[in-house]
Amino acid sequence: MPKHYRPAGKKKEGNAAKYVTRTQAVKYLQISLPVFRKLCILKGVFPRVPKKKVKGNHHSYYHMKDIMFLKHEPLLEKLRDIRTYDKKIKKAVSKKNRDLAERLLTRKPSYTLDMLVRERYPKFIDALRDLDDCLSMVHLFAALPAVDRAVDGEKIPVERVHNCRRLSHEWLAYISRTHKLRKTFISVKGIYYQAEVEGQIVTWLTPHALQQVLPEVDYRVLLTFLEFYETLLAFVNYKLYRSINVNYPPILDPRLEALAADLYALSRYFDANGKSKQIENQQEGTNLDESEVRLAQLHQHLPSNEPGALMHLLDDGSNKDDQDLETRECKSLFKNVKFFLSREVPRESLLFVIPAFGGTVSWEGEGAPFDESDDSITHQVVDRPIQGRKFLSREYVQPQWVYDCVNARILLPTDKYMVGCIPPPHLSPFVDNEAEGHVPDYAEAIERMKAAGRKEVLPLPGTGIEDLDDPQGLLVSDRQEAIEAAKRKQQISMLEKQYLDELKLELKGAPPFSQDIDAVGGGDDAISDVQQIADDVSNMSKVVMPRKKRKLLEAMEMSKERKRSSVNRLKERKKNIDQAKNLA
Amino acid sequence: MKPLKENGSDKPKKNEKDRKKLQKLVAKNMEETLKRIEEAEPGTESSEDSPFVSGSEDTGDEALSDDDGSISDSGSEQSKLSQDEQDVIQSSEGDSDDGDNDGDLVSEGEDDDNYHAEDSHGESDDSREVVEESDSSEDEVAPRNTVGDVPLEWYKDEGHIGYDLAGKKIKKKERQSKLDSFLANVDDSRSWRKIYDQYNDEEVELTKDETKLIGRLLKGKAPHPDFDPYAPYVDWFAWDGAKHPLSNAPEPKRRFIPSKWESKTVLRLVRAIRKGLIKFDEKPKEKPRFFDLWDDSTSAERQGLAYIPAPKAKLPGHDESYNPSAEYIPTQEEINAYQLLFEEDRPKFIPKQFANMRSVPAYDKSVQELFDRHLDLYLCPRVHKKRINIDPESLKPKLPSRRDLKPYPSTCYLEYKGHKGPVITISVESTGQWLASGSKDGTVRIWEIETGRCVQIWDLGEPVEQVSWNPKPEVPMLAVAVGHDVFILNTKCGSDEQQKTIEEILHVEPQKVEDDSDSTANVVTWGQDEKHGGIRLKHFKSVTKVEWHRNGDYLSTLMPSGESRSVLIHQLSKKQTQRIPFKTKGIPVATSFHPTRSIFFTATKKDVRVYDLIKQKRIKKLDAGVREISSIAIHPGGDNAIVGSRDGKLCWFDMDLSSKPYKVLRAHKKDLTAVAYHRTYPLFASCSDDNTAYVFHGMVYSDLNENPLIVPLQILRGHSTGDGRGVMDCKFHPRQPWLFTAGSDSLIKLYCH
Repeated sequence: MPKHYRPAGKKKEGNAAKYVTRTQAVKYLQISLPVFRKLCILKGVFPRVPKKKVKGNHHSYYHMKDIMFLKHEPLLEKLRDIRTYDKKIKKAVSKKNRDLAERLLTRKPSYTLDMLVRERYPKFIDALRDLDDCLSMVHLFAALPAVDRAVDGEKIPVERVHNCRRLSHEWLAYISRTHKLRKTFISVKGIYYQAEVEGQIVTWLTPHALQQVLPEVDYRVLLTFLEFYETLLAFVNYKLYRSINVNYPPILDPRLEALAADLYALSRYFDANGKSKQIENQQEGTNLDESEVRLAQLHQHLPSNEPGALMHLLDDGSNKDDQDLETRECKSLFKNVKFFLSREVPRESLLFVIPAFGGTVSWEGEGAPFDESDDSITHQVVDRPIQGRKFLSREYVQPQWVYDCVNARILLPTDKYMVGCIPPPHLSPFVDNEAEGHVPDYAEAIERMKAAGRKEVLPLPGTGIEDLDDPQGLLVSDRQEAIEAAKRKQQISMLEKQYLDELKLELKGAPPFSQDIDAVGGGDDAISDVQQIADDVSNMSKVVMPRKKRKLLEAMEMSKERKRSSVNRLKERKKNIDQAKNLA
Repeated sequence: MKPLKENGSDKPKKNEKDRKKLQKLVAKNMEETLKRIEEAEPGTESSEDSPFVSGSEDTGDEALSDDDGSISDSGSEQSKLSQDEQDVIQSSEGDSDDGDNDGDLVSEGEDDDNYHAEDSHGESDDSREVVEESDSSEDEVAPRNTVGDVPLEWYKDEGHIGYDLAGKKIKKKERQSKLDSFLANVDDSRSWRKIYDQYNDEEVELTKDETKLIGRLLKGKAPHPDFDPYAPYVDWFAWDGAKHPLSNAPEPKRRFIPSKWESKTVLRLVRAIRKGLIKFDEKPKEKPRFFDLWDDSTSAERQGLAYIPAPKAKLPGHDESYNPSAEYIPTQEEINAYQLLFEEDRPKFIPKQFANMRSVPAYDKSVQELFDRHLDLYLCPRVHKKRINIDPESLKPKLPSRRDLKPYPSTCYLEYKGHKGPVITISVESTGQWLASGSKDGTVRIWEIETGRCVQIWDLGEPVEQVSWNPKPEVPMLAVAVGHDVFILNTKCGSDEQQKTIEEILHVEPQKVEDDSDSTANVVTWGQDEKHGGIRLKHFKSVTKVEWHRNGDYLSTLMPSGESRSVLIHQLSKKQTQRIPFKTKGIPVATSFHPTRSIFFTATKKDVRVYDLIKQKRIKKLDAGVREISSIAIHPGGDNAIVGSRDGKLCWFDMDLSSKPYKVLRAHKKDLTAVAYHRTYPLFASCSDDNTAYVFHGMVYSDLNENPLIVPLQILRGHSTGDGRGVMDCKFHPRQPWLFTAGSDSLIKLYCH
C-alpha cells in the first residue's frame, strides 16, 4: 500500500485538514469568486502559509477556521439575498414591468458593516493601528473629481467621492484641532503626514490636489476596500470627536462649504460646539476652577465672525492637563505667527498644517477669516512671485518653509525660502540619518540651529556631532572603536609573543635563525597583515557555525554591504557635486 | 366596379355616386392635360397618347376598387370615411405643384354643386384628379427599388442604390452640395416638410395631412382623427336565443351584503388612528448612523484565528522628496545605466528635483500603487516571521579564548628551501629531529629540523608521492612511494647499532621473490635497491600512499587503480605481502592504521570503512556526506577521526557517537589536501589548495558524555600558489606544538607557537 493512501472514510488530519486552497474554499462556501473576494476583504480574511503545502506550492491556502468564520457570517446570507433581489429587478425590467421594477428598487435590501468593524477591531486602539491604508485610500478617493465616472466598467459613484472628502476633512480637522500632527513630508507622490493618536503613530499620504490618473485596474477591489474603510473611518471619527466633546457628524456652515473651505468650516464648528459644551459644563458646575477663566475668554471671543474667533479656537484649553510635552511643543510652534496664503499654494494642506501647529491662517478668496491687508500678518506664503503690493511688515516665504519648520520644530530663518529662489532641499522626517549612514548637509544645519535654539553648543562638524545626539550612533562608533582597539591589542600581543618566543628559543640554546628565515609581520606589509588577522579572527568563528546560522550571517553581511555601498554612492555623488561647485 | 355596386347600405350608395362623379372628373382632366401636352410637344408624345390615357385610367380604377374591396370587409362607415381621407391625403401632394391645374379644378368644382352639398370633404376631393395623375406618373418615372430589406450601407460605395423590377441598376442621383442644399432650405419655406427617402434615393415632401398624421402618431393616438378608441361595446353574443344559461348557479349572498372583514379592517384602522398609533405625515424616526462602536459594553476579544497585522507601507526616504538633496538625484549616466539592468532590478523610482511646489505634477502611479498595496492586503499569505534585528556578531558562537588554548603553531619560523619542484609530501621522524620531504622533482630530502639544513638527498627520478618515517625511533627508516615502486630507505640517521639492525632488516634475498606462487606474486616483487641502499617493492600499479603500522614492521601501500588488490600490507621482517582480506567498494584514496588496536581504516571517495584486522570483518562505515574524500587522520586516542574532502569540508567523526560526522567545518575554499592530528597536544590541522592551513584545537575528553571541543585557532598563510595547487601536506612535530607545511611553491615551512 502506498504511503499516501488513506482508506475511504478516514478523516483527513494535519495540514490537509486544516488548510484549504482558495478553489476549495469557494466551492465549500458555494459562492462565486467575486463574492468570496468581497467577503474576504470585508472580513479581513487572508491566506496563510501552512507548514506543509498539501496541494502544491502554487496555491494560496486559507485556514479552515477562517473559512468557517466566513461561512457563519450573516453578511454572506445578506449578499445572497441581495443577489436574488437583483434578479427580481432584472426580471421585472426585462418583462417591461416598470412599476414593479421601480417599487423593487426603492426597497432594495442593504447592509451595514458596523459590526464587522467592531469584530475586526475589538478595541479602538486596534482600529487606530490599522488606519494607515484606510486614510491613504480615503484621501486618494477624496481627490478624485466628483463626477460619476465609469472606469473599466465599474462606476465610481459621486456620493462615495463626496463621502470620502467629508471623512477626510473630518479626520484632518480633528488632528489639526488637537495638535496631533507630528511630521509632514512633501514627496513626489503626494504629501505624507504623520500623527500620533492615542499613542499610535498613524501615517497617511494625500495626493497632490490635481487631476488624478486612473489606470486600468480592478476598481471593484478598491471600492470594496473603500466600503469598509468609509465605515471604519466614520466610526473612528465619531469616537475621536466624542473624546473632545464635539457632536458627530458635524453640521457645517453651508456658506463655507460652498466655498470649499471645509476645513475652516469644521474648525468653526468645533469652536461653536465646544463652546456650547463648555457653557453647559459651567451651568452644571462640573469644573469650577477653570470655568471662570474660560468664561472670561469666552466673553472676549464671542463675536465669532471676527478673525479673533480663529485665534480663540486655537487656545482651546479643554484638555490641557492630559497633553503631553510633544503636543505642547507642537501647539506652540506657530503661536505668534499669522499666515496668509496666496494663490497657487497647496491651500488645503496648509490650512491643515498651520492650525495644527498653533498658527493662524487665512487665504485669498471668499470666506477667509481675514484679509491680505491685515497688518498683523507676519508671514505670507507665496509660490509664484507676485507683482502686486508687498507689505514690508511681513515675510514672504515659499510653502516648503512651513513644512520644514514643522519637521524641525523651530522657526527656520526665512532668507533661504525667499520667493523665486530654489529653496534648500526638503528632507524626509521619516529617515534616521545616523542609522542610514549619510547625513545631508541641510539636516546637519537644521540640527545645529535647533541646538542653538536650545542654547547648547554642538561641536563643529567633523568632530562627530552625530555621536552626541544619537545614542545609536554612539553605540555604532563604540563598536568600531572596540574592534580597532582589539586589532591594535592583537598586533601588540603578537609582537610581544614573537619576541618572547625568540627569547625562549634563545634560552633553549637553539641556533640563531639563518638568513632564509623571514621575519613575519614586520615592515611594509604590516598593515595588510593586521587587516588579514582581523579578517581571520572574524572568519575563524564562522568555521564552526552551523550552516543555517552561517547563511544568516552572510545574508546580514550582504545587506549591510548593500547599504554601505548605497551610502558610498551618495557620498561619491556629493563629492562630485562639491567639486563641480568649487570649480565653477 | 362590381364590389362597389354590391354595397347595400345608404351611405355607400352616396359614396358610389361620388365615385362615379370622380371618375368622370378624372377622365375629363386627363383629356385636358393630354391636349395640353400635345400642344406643347406635338411630335414626340403623340404616338404614346392612347395607351397612356387608358393605362392611367385603368390603374386609377383598379386602385380605387381594390381599396374599396378591402374596406368593405370591415363594413363600417368610419372606414369608408377614412378611405376618403386617405385619398385626400394622396391628392394633396399634387396640390401646389400643379398651379395651372387649379383653375380647371375650380371650374370643375363649380360644376358639381351636388357633390359639394353631399360631402363635407369636397374641397379636398377637387384635387383628386391631380392625385391620380401624379401617382401614375411617379410610378413610371421612379420604379421602386427591389433590393429588399438590406442595409443600405452595402450600396454606400456603389454608383447605384439597387435594382428596379427589370433588374437594372438604379443610379444614385447627384447630391446637392451642402451649401446649395442649405441655401435651398433657407429659401424654401416648406423645407421642414421634406424628407429624404434613402431607399428610393428621392426627396419626399409631406403634405399637411401627412404631417398631422405623424403628429398624431407621435402623441400615441390613432392615426385617423375620427377613430374613436372608446366606442361603445358591441356585444357579439346573441343572448336571447340561448337555450341554457352559461351558469346556473344562484347568485351568492355575499354579492348583496357588505363585507364583514372589510369593515373590521376599517374599524381597526380607525381605532389605530384615534389612538395615535398611525400617524400621517411623519417620517420614520432616523437612528443616528454612527454611534460609539467601542463602548465597553461588550467584551473586546477578537474571534477567530490570531490576527496577523499587515506590515505597514514603507515610509519615504529623502530621495522621494519633491526637492531632494542634490546627491540623491542620479546623474544622467546612471539613469542611462538603469536601462541596461533587468526590468525587475531597475529602480522603481527615479528622484527628480522640482524648483517649486506648484510645478509638482500629479503622481501618475498613485492609484496603481494603492491598488497593488491592497491586492497584497487580501491576496498575500501572511505569516509571522521573526525579524532578526541583532548584531551579526552575536550570531557567532562564543569560543573559548585562544590564549587559554596555547600553545599552538601560529607564526612561521623556518623555511626549508632546496626542492626544485612542488613539495608533495613530508614526514617527521618520531624523535622530532629529522624531517623527510618528497617532491615532484623526484628527490627525497632529509632536513635537520632545528637548523633547516638538508642532510641527505635521494634522486628517485619520478615524482615522489609519499614519504613516511618508520614510527620506531630506533630504526630510522624511510618509506617512499614513487611511481610503481615503494622504497624503504636507510637514512643513516641513527647510531651504529641501529644502523646494523636496519641493514639486517633491509636485506632481501633475491630468490625469495620467485618462491611465492600466490596471487600477490605478480602484484609485488621485493628486491634490493643497491643504488639508494634499501628495499624496493615493485608494484603492478602506481602507488600513492604508504603508511606504517605503529610497530614498524608492517606497512600498507595503496594503489587506487589496483581494484581488488589496491590495498596491500607488507611485513618487513618476513618480506611478505598480503592483500587485505576485505572487499573494498569504490576507489580507495587513503588508508590508516588504528593507533592502538588492530583496526584498519580505508577511505574511499564516498565513505570511510573501518575493518577489524583480527576478526577480519568490517566494523563500521563512516558516512561523511561530502563530495570526495581526500585524506584521513585518526586521533591518537583512536575513537575520533577527521576526514578532509575535496569540497573544502573537514568532518570530525566521533566513532562512538555515530557514523555521521559530529561536526563539519567548512574552513577552506578549495580542496583539502591533508589533515593531521598532533600526537600529544589537543591539536589538529588541515591544509588546502587555497594556500592556507588551519590549526584547530580539538580536545577529546575522557568523559564519554562530553563531546569533543573544537575551536579554530589559527589560519596559517605564507605559501604561494605553484602550478595551481596550494599547501600539499602538513604534519605536526611529534613532541612540540609545531606544524610543518609543504607547499607547491617548493617550500617547507615550520610554524611554531
